[in-house]
Amino acid sequence: MNAIEIKGLTKNFKEKQALCGLDMTVPVGAIYGFIGENGSGKSTTEKIICGLIHKSSGTVKLFSKDHTDPEIRSQMSALIEAPGCFPNMSVWNNMMLQAANLDISNAEQEVVKVLKLVRMEGAAGNKYKNCSLGMKQRVGIAMALLGNPKLLVLDEPINGLDADGMRIMREVLTDISKTGATVVISSHILGELEKIATHYGIIKGGKMLKEMTAAELEADCRTYTALQAKDMSRAKAILSCKYSHVEEDESGYIRVYDTVTPEEIVCYLYENGIIITEIGKAKIGLEEYYIDLMKGGK
Amino acid sequence: MKKLKSMLKVDFRRMFTTPLFYIVTGICFVVPILILVMTTMMDGSVSVNPQTGKETVIEAFDSAWQIIGTVSEDTTESETASAMEVDMLAMCNINLLYFGISVLVCLFTSADFRSGYAKNLFTVRAKKTDYVISKTVVCSICGMIAVLSFFTGTLLGGVIAGLPFEMVGFNAGNLMMCLLAKMLLIWVFVPIYLLMSVIAKQKAWLSILLSLMVGMFLFMMIPMLSPLNATAINVLLCIVGGIVIGTGFGAISNQVLKKTSLV
Repeated sequence: MNAIEIKGLTKNFKEKQALCGLDMTVPVGAIYGFIGENGSGKSTTEKIICGLIHKSSGTVKLFSKDHTDPEIRSQMSALIEAPGCFPNMSVWNNMMLQAANLDISNAEQEVVKVLKLVRMEGAAGNKYKNCSLGMKQRVGIAMALLGNPKLLVLDEPINGLDADGMRIMREVLTDISKTGATVVISSHILGELEKIATHYGIIKGGKMLKEMTAAELEADCRTYTALQAKDMSRAKAILSCKYSHVEEDESGYIRVYDTVTPEEIVCYLYENGIIITEIGKAKIGLEEYYIDLMKGGK
Repeated sequence: MKKLKSMLKVDFRRMFTTPLFYIVTGICFVVPILILVMTTMMDGSVSVNPQTGKETVIEAFDSAWQIIGTVSEDTTESETASAMEVDMLAMCNINLLYFGISVLVCLFTSADFRSGYAKNLFTVRAKKTDYVISKTVVCSICGMIAVLSFFTGTLLGGVIAGLPFEMVGFNAGNLMMCLLAKMLLIWVFVPIYLLMSVIAKQKAWLSILLSLMVGMFLFMMIPMLSPLNATAINVLLCIVGGIVIGTGFGAISNQVLKKTSLV
């Protein structure tokens, strides 16, 4: 069963079409990295999933039921844009309000538990408005974790978090996923996303450009040998004679995408009188893959 | 029903912990004291309009109850001349409180949308009816508390100003009915203010403006429906009005929430 199944989703805002026939499938238990440029339609999709805005057309199903089904909605949680907290209330009171909304019986223990998870137990008495950006984000995450949701939709949750916050976030989301919950997470910090996501969806101009699993991404992300030589232009020319896919990247390295070891390249260039100053194996990451895809690459 | 109960619990907790409620209730307590004491102090003083040269004599209230309402009588020819005077009295009293309540309802509701709390709420709760009922009940009960606060302020203001508490043309029972009718009228106004608030969402200023505009149309019916010599009929009329308007406007608010974006 899929946690989210979207077909032909469109959303029109007056003159602008934010989503044009978006299809999206998120399997149960996945950590789905939802990636796209600013204004590509990520937040709009997430808001529609959460029932905060209305779709123009298409179908949105959560666990095979319509997304407006109250039963399903009570099992989901979200952090869309900023956390929804009253600024003059303490963190604790804000959390207790949400716990009451969710009809959590042992609210106090549950709130303590999630605040501990995001390392905010010491700041529970602070007024929300006095919290730093990162602290506010942690409160928002804690709020979204209340009531053990089966589906968690997080819009840019890593923004404003420090290194420790990001690590905690990774651990928390991985743990949630292990319990069978599904997480949809949109972020521009692709390096972080790459560490936890099991599935990816790349959206562009309101359409799903590509959906894939982490394993498929791994297979798609080619390894290459990167090198720098004293005479770069000659080195490139010589390498191009022997290898089929040689190019120079923006940071001034020559990349050889063919299946070849650095030792072989060193020997070959040495034979041709080229001195290598730096060489090593590297792999295209999610970020580079994404940028390449956005540019229309394979 | 269980969900509605939990939402009511949340809204009551929120209302009674927000300074806004205490400010509005405090103002409702202080205003009658100020009006009664100041008008008594200024009784008989003459102010001259510098442009027209016309003199106006400031008259104090004859009875403390005048700030709660006026006695409705059958209009006769002799009373027509003083009709304007009666209308002024009808306006400068407890009825102003209904405008104060609009501020309370609008700020309380818009805070849900401004803070993003509505976002959290509607993500986990699909039923908008619970929200509308909960807000109507909580705001109406707070409005009723404000009416009682105004009444208490009137008693204290009357004592301080040394005004008589004579009941001319009505009795204590009528006064109780009048207060009850005024409290029940809150249930007519709150659903209207709530509708304006859900239309304007986070724009509190717009919801207040809309509420004041719409409230203005209904303002004149307050002294008619809840005079000092009110009877059970008046109370019944207010109950019927509360149910009809509450249900009608509540349903419209529900539709507005269902059909419009919540962020």
